[in-house]
Amino acid sequence: MSTDDKKTVTGTTSRISRRKIIKTAGAASVLAASGMAFPAITGYAKEFSGVTLQGASFSSTFFEYLKGYFPEFEEQTGMKLNFVTNAFPVFNQRTDLELSTKGSALDVINVTFIYSGRWIGANWVENLRPYVDDENMTPPDWDWKDFVGGTMAAMSGANGDPYAFPWEAGAMIMMASRADLIEKAGKKMPTTFSELVDVCDAIHGQERMAAFTADKLHHWNFIPYLMGHGGGVFKDPPGNLTPTWDTPEAGKAAEYYADLLTKYGPSGILSFTDSQAMQTQKNGRANIRTQAITWGVPLAKDPDSKVKDTVRYSIMPGGPAGNFPGSNSHGFGIPVGSKNKKAAWEFIKWAVGKKMTKTLVEKHGYPSVCRQSIISSEAFKEAMTLNGQDVASIFLEVLKLGGKSGYMKYRTVPQFPQIGDKLNKAIERVATKQQSGMESMAQAQAEAVGDLKKSGVKIDL
Amino acid sequence: MAANLKRDPEDLRQKFYWFCLWPAFMVLIAVTLAPTIYLFVISFTPLDLTRPETSWDFSKPLGQYKIIWEDKRLHNSWWVQAKLSFWTVLIQMILGFLFALFLNVKSKLLEALRTVFLIPMVLPPIVVAIIWKVLYTPDISPFHWAAEGLGFMVPALITDPDWALWAIIIADIWEWFPFVMLMILSALQMMPEEYIEAAKIDGANVWQMTWYVTIPYLKGVLIVAALFRIVDSIKAFPLIYILTDGGPGSLTEVTNYYSFMQAFNFSYLGYSSAITVTLVIATILASWGIIRLVGWGKPID
Repeated sequence: MSTDDKKTVTGTTSRISRRKIIKTAGAASVLAASGMAFPAITGYAKEFSGVTLQGASFSSTFFEYLKGYFPEFEEQTGMKLNFVTNAFPVFNQRTDLELSTKGSALDVINVTFIYSGRWIGANWVENLRPYVDDENMTPPDWDWKDFVGGTMAAMSGANGDPYAFPWEAGAMIMMASRADLIEKAGKKMPTTFSELVDVCDAIHGQERMAAFTADKLHHWNFIPYLMGHGGGVFKDPPGNLTPTWDTPEAGKAAEYYADLLTKYGPSGILSFTDSQAMQTQKNGRANIRTQAITWGVPLAKDPDSKVKDTVRYSIMPGGPAGNFPGSNSHGFGIPVGSKNKKAAWEFIKWAVGKKMTKTLVEKHGYPSVCRQSIISSEAFKEAMTLNGQDVASIFLEVLKLGGKSGYMKYRTVPQFPQIGDKLNKAIERVATKQQSGMESMAQAQAEAVGDLKKSGVKIDL
Repeated sequence: MAANLKRDPEDLRQKFYWFCLWPAFMVLIAVTLAPTIYLFVISFTPLDLTRPETSWDFSKPLGQYKIIWEDKRLHNSWWVQAKLSFWTVLIQMILGFLFALFLNVKSKLLEALRTVFLIPMVLPPIVVAIIWKVLYTPDISPFHWAAEGLGFMVPALITDPDWALWAIIIADIWEWFPFVMLMILSALQMMPEEYIEAAKIDGANVWQMTWYVTIPYLKGVLIVAALFRIVDSIKAFPLIYILTDGGPGSLTEVTNYYSFMQAFNFSYLGYSSAITVTLVIATILASWGIIRLVGWGKPID
């Protein structure tokens, strides 16, 4: 390199340096004026500024809490978050369609439990193994092995690789918004199906309250009652997906559950969404509900709850064939068509990282935690002491029950969305007296068999 | 040579017209014809979005149509569709006609009322559905509060098997009878005065004038309005999606909703296309049949 060349380079360099200094100083002034944290910007600004991350999930209290921290995340990373939440069926239907086109409209999505087998099996969501294995993308202390094994089962592919990381470990429990009315009637929290009916009989109509409430997702709410009566969804999932609904046990279970809804439920119960059912409890218009713990905690924690001092929790009742409370998990995944995968991963790391999980537990009492290190912490126990009751132990007991016998395997088969629809319709028909339990379940069985055949599934009848 | 020169400008003009129409044809082909052809084509495959091997599988071209004949839930949806279309169109036609007669009277108050009656029709369908969802939800419905205040226990209409379909029918009538009313009203306002005057001179009373003069005059408009409404009733979707989700059971599940579920909830695009093809054919046949049966209307004497 000649001396002239060096001069030119040096001269150019010095000119650029001056420009850079001026630009940087100007940018710093603007940022300082807008109150943004300087160190946070320098860490991510180059990579994620200008990125708008499109996210979607079904509505849940988790997102109500998490959304409060979105500005903090946007400030840290420079990206913009556009995270949309819809009702459960609406989200699932839209996302299923979007994923099937391998489009790029969404960058980070909730991988719904009942769709996990379908979306992961069809390779519609990204394998996250390369993300967690790359130390440049994921620091070792993020520790993905910290997620409880049971919650990861549905989020993993056949090869064991993670395709999503869970934000909710759903555990179905029983919550009575007015346990005082149960005691007043000389009863205890029911532990069996027959006791549940006895209690409902004793408290229904007291203080203008319905004894029982539920949302319309019967293919989740009804299954523990089906199994408790000795019925099942499939013969031996995931290997044998022959439905087993045209049995006396299934018919009896359908009658039992439909009676709970219609004899003891509030008017309009068959159209209730999750939130509506929760509101009936929070407002003191309905007493007992068996549903995931996520929908039970607000009864004790929300400032507008009218039942904070009377709510009580227990493991859901069992039937003659045993106790099968539902458990599931929902997690964050990245659609394969996303054009912002790195940014999406940054969001996932943040949203289900140890720090955020701990924050949600400590500040909001979020119950459906999936990280072992948090579940075993004192903070979790403390947050899950609701109205003086240790609800954490109930939560863990349900997770253990679900993992022990694997009875939840029915729910992650790729064909469950269409099979679940048949169960929803079956319960509606029984609850509205269009058909008896046996007739309705037999019709649902015939429809399910037709659908499974359409999917190329071999039926063992 | 001179003859050629005379003909050529006309040919050129014709060619120019066709040339000008081409962009519109291309757009029409792209947005209407191509998707329709695609719909027909995939109805001959078992296309399932979760199984890529099913796309372009023409090994059993009538396989999906065969399933149609075995699918009892689909057959039920045809019956539900027939009931929904019959009652909504019939009542909308009657109400639309009566309100049009009423609003045809010259009065400033009635002129103002015309605009009010048009409001349901111009609201986005999803907004209409939400309005009725509120009205039909016992916890938040002013209608239910009022009934309860008067000592009546009204069931939740959208989940009651005896009322669910009527809940949809009522909402649909509210939304669309103004369309029929508007069409009839515009025709009434163009009706020559001499028809009425001649009838009066002949000593016809109000009922006779309506039956023998007004209705025959409106026959063409009534048929067009009914056809529009029949076709639209077959497309009924937002009300069902928001209010009942096809339930309870399948009591309000019309065919297009069932087809939507097959495609977008279960990914059975092949089967859904086959259902839609049958629906398209049925709609065309029904429209043709009605026109043949009733005729387009003839000028009155």
